Amino acid sequence: MSGNEAFELVSERGWSRGLNTMLRSGLARWFKTRMWWVQCLIWGSLVGSILATIAFNPQPPPPADLYMIFMVFVGLFPAVGVVIIMQDALVGEKREGTAAWVLSKPLTRPAFVLSKVFANSLGILVTMVIVPFILGVAIITIVTKSTLNPLGYLEAIGVIFISDFFFLALTLMLGTFFDSRGPVIGIPLGILFMQQNLIGFLPALRYVLPWTLVVPIGNTDPLAISFLLKTPLPQDQLITLAAIVIESILFVSIGLWRFNREEF
Amino acid sequence: MNEANPYVIQTHGLSKTYKNIHALGSLDLNVHQNSIFGFLGPNGAGKTTTIKLMLGLTRPTAGTATIFGMDSVTNSVDIRARIGYLPQEPHFYEYMTARQTLRFTAEFFFKGPKKAIDERVEEMLGLVDLSDKADRSIKTFSGGERQRLGIAQAQVNYPDLLILDEPAASLDPLGRRDVLEVMSKLRKYATIFYSTHILDDVQRVSDTVVILNKGELVAQGPIEELLAGSEGVIYIIHLKGDIESALKQVQSLSWVSGVKTSQNNDESIWQVSVTDPEAAETQLLKLLVNGPVVVNEFRRKQYELEDVFMQVIEGGQDVRK
Repeated sequence: MSGNEAFELVSERGWSRGLNTMLRSGLARWFKTRMWWVQCLIWGSLVGSILATIAFNPQPPPPADLYMIFMVFVGLFPAVGVVIIMQDALVGEKREGTAAWVLSKPLTRPAFVLSKVFANSLGILVTMVIVPFILGVAIITIVTKSTLNPLGYLEAIGVIFISDFFFLALTLMLGTFFDSRGPVIGIPLGILFMQQNLIGFLPALRYVLPWTLVVPIGNTDPLAISFLLKTPLPQDQLITLAAIVIESILFVSIGLWRFNREEF
Repeated sequence: MNEANPYVIQTHGLSKTYKNIHALGSLDLNVHQNSIFGFLGPNGAGKTTTIKLMLGLTRPTAGTATIFGMDSVTNSVDIRARIGYLPQEPHFYEYMTARQTLRFTAEFFFKGPKKAIDERVEEMLGLVDLSDKADRSIKTFSGGERQRLGIAQAQVNYPDLLILDEPAASLDPLGRRDVLEVMSKLRKYATIFYSTHILDDVQRVSDTVVILNKGELVAQGPIEELLAGSEGVIYIIHLKGDIESALKQVQSLSWVSGVKTSQNNDESIWQVSVTDPEAAETQLLKLLVNGPVVVNEFRRKQYELEDVFMQVIEGGQDVRK
């Protein structure tokens, strides 16, 4: 290359080549465009308005019920947003031709996929988990005048994020197999909303679906609430937590393998 | 690539089949360093497939492509570090501006210094006349503006090889002229491999041409050779006078392989096919001028690229050099 003597060349080698550039671009998309505040507004106002309506009612439900309602909204509904955002991350880029364009640069395919995982995970964690969570907990603590353990607070956020990450990884993996949006959106949303029925039909599925992490089943609190309120942790749900982490890693790994075979 | 191998691109039996569709069949190409290599063919001929194979965006069904002496499948990322590529329909991230797009592209190659990267980005924006639109969202760009941005991003890294897929497709005549000028200037520093439908452009700037049809290579060679035609060297002669005796004299020459004659008013027009162009150049005119005829016109037949293209595409003629 003549003319580039004035530059310091990129030194990344191997599978991570191009990862920094893609990651910076992915994070810029989240945090240097209006995307971050739009997502904060959507999920913050959804969780905040519903919870405030219930909590500031003249006859509010008991604190335990408030926490359950809160957890359903903060733990379950943002997963819809996760699926919508993640389908665009791969299928959208494949269809629009931007994936082929960036992959014509010195960028490896694993770096492309992992940049989508990392940048979107951070965006989702901040705007769809932490912000609505803080808002919801603030409302509940004001109403119930209770204080929460900071560690429990962080652990509960972690559990909610792991539940969302399951859908992130699943959608990403499906995006590497399909070129149309239908199955990539439909399958994760189907699983999201059918979990209760599936577990009812086959109870063993509670170990491999993230439902019990954020939604109560029978008289058992969801794991996120157990962490948040520092009540005894249900052992079954710890198994579920571990399984969800393993499944998510598996989904990302399969996605990496499949995307490596993709033809543009 | 080294001194012993002057080729930037070499393909051997490169083939691609998509399910049952035969997109490219056994392509053998040699692209010389610092050449402007025109890659021609009708729609569906396999041009874009070939480019994608070279970039590692798709894998060959058979054969190999070697760029800078590196295999396009196993060393794809190292190859792309030295290439600039303009896709047929450039698509960029719509949330970025033109300036952000060029900086983003540059950062795949350069870590810094920031000032040098910014200067290079400015230079490229100026080159494609987008400086005044640099901070506008790409969402608002027209097809021509996107194409110009595509040309800029392909050059931002000072590539050793520039691959342009239909670079002038969405441009107006002035834009086309500018692109051709840029290509001519870059020849000193880079090899340019470009596909196009615009034969006039190829004839103006290319030094080597390949014509593909239905996934098969049907013509390849220096543009002068292709323009000389596949029928061999022909001289066109317009003359008057004692045609018969002159014709007998010409036909008796050992290096004349045939003469086609026609009449236009009182003028005879001959197409003399020769096997020894040098002998024809030095002796044919002299012979006629010294004979019983008046020569009004004497020239070597030149083909337009369009003639060659139509000949090989429609006639299915193979004029591989």
